[in-house]
Amino acid sequence: MSPLALLALLAAVEPTVPQYDIESLRVRYTQYAQTGLGYQSAAGPPGKPGSEWLRVEQPQAEITARLGERVTERVWIPVDIVTAASPDHSRYGKPYDAVDTVTTASRSTPSATLDTFTTYRADRATDLTMRAGFHIEEPFESWIVGVGASRSFAEDNTVVGVSANQILDWFDRFDLDGNRHGRATRSTTNLNVDVTQVLSPTTLANVAYGGTLQAGELGNTWQSVMLDGGARGDERLPGHRFRHAAAARVAQWLPWDGALTLAYRIYLDSWGIAAHSAEGALAQRVLPGVVLRASYRFHVQSAPGFFTTAAAPNGTGFRTSDSDLGPFHAQTFGGAVVVDLPVARHAHDLHVDIGFERYVRSDSLRVDVSTCGLGFRF
Amino acid sequence: MKARTLALVVALALAASAAGCVIVPQNRRKHLADPMMRFQTDALEAHAHQKLYGSREAAAGGDGTPAGGGCACQ
Repeated sequence: MSPLALLALLAAVEPTVPQYDIESLRVRYTQYAQTGLGYQSAAGPPGKPGSEWLRVEQPQAEITARLGERVTERVWIPVDIVTAASPDHSRYGKPYDAVDTVTTASRSTPSATLDTFTTYRADRATDLTMRAGFHIEEPFESWIVGVGASRSFAEDNTVVGVSANQILDWFDRFDLDGNRHGRATRSTTNLNVDVTQVLSPTTLANVAYGGTLQAGELGNTWQSVMLDGGARGDERLPGHRFRHAAAARVAQWLPWDGALTLAYRIYLDSWGIAAHSAEGALAQRVLPGVVLRASYRFHVQSAPGFFTTAAAPNGTGFRTSDSDLGPFHAQTFGGAVVVDLPVARHAHDLHVDIGFERYVRSDSLRVDVSTCGLGFRF
Repeated sequence: MKARTLALVVALALAASAAGCVIVPQNRRKHLADPMMRFQTDALEAHAHQKLYGSREAAAGGDGTPAGGGCACQ
């Protein structure tokens, strides 16, 4: 074959471009309204826990698209707008003296993440996933990479998944007077394994384990510790934390067109924190495409040995007054209405849900969570 | 207490593994495919829960996501 004929043949062959189809588009808006008091907050009278009042507005968007037969792309953009991310404090008797004077986090901090997941279907039973993400908020940046794989066995009755993630955080270091001291870093390495198993035509079970190793600056650097006598000092945390969490979940279909899901989770870490969480949710289809859901969760956790609400002023060891690390139990009560309607003309399925949850902690913290979601499946 | 709880989790995992010997054919799994049977309703709602529990409790993880990191909370 002459070169000219070969060129003519190549020109005649059209390259095959995989078709790009948007599978689904989802948006969600969630608001968190928090009230309560915590010893780590200096926004209170000297010697007393301070206010933990804040509000978070959280819009999210997600697009899932299929590229050809084997590749699925998921792009996810959550945005958080946090008021009073670091509360003003009264360390010098001035109730509106912001500790992080260089930033605006005491008033409002917008943060955003771009997270992408690319899944490649290697064969009928095996999916490989790659993740890449970036998070930014004042004064904090974070990079996320991850890989994962899942494989089904026994005619898809068993699905085994593994994933690993690496996160690098990079943020400003402040002291309690609001002075900036360069940058701090934190590394988070995570490995997850989970098995989902069909137990019967109406019962599904899942067990999962997640191990996370954190190293670097593990606090936010400006959080204060209540000292003996009512003054405030800096928080000091260990430079490493190895965290283990294991969970077991069961979903049971109910003959009156409902479903019950139960979950239990245990958590242990190298700081000496142990936690147990039990959760149940009951879903009931009341009309075709309309589901009512009620949920309840109970959580109890212990504190690390260095948790204190009256640290020695001249102490040199680790110390924290962070109420989120303290000993408490918490309950969450929730309810939601979920509507899934077929819409033949524009999309195959329209999803709408609206829900409310109240999170109540034994140390007086309360968070009201309102959420609504809208989705199209094409 | 911790040992007993860990033993319970392991026992549940073994029970689930043992049940793997029973294969439910695809034509008998229509109830399992019902959206009500999902452990998490959707990824965006799961993130909203992780945001609440990950920032207000010291015990994140076990749900396929890292325990901490990626935000200015602990």
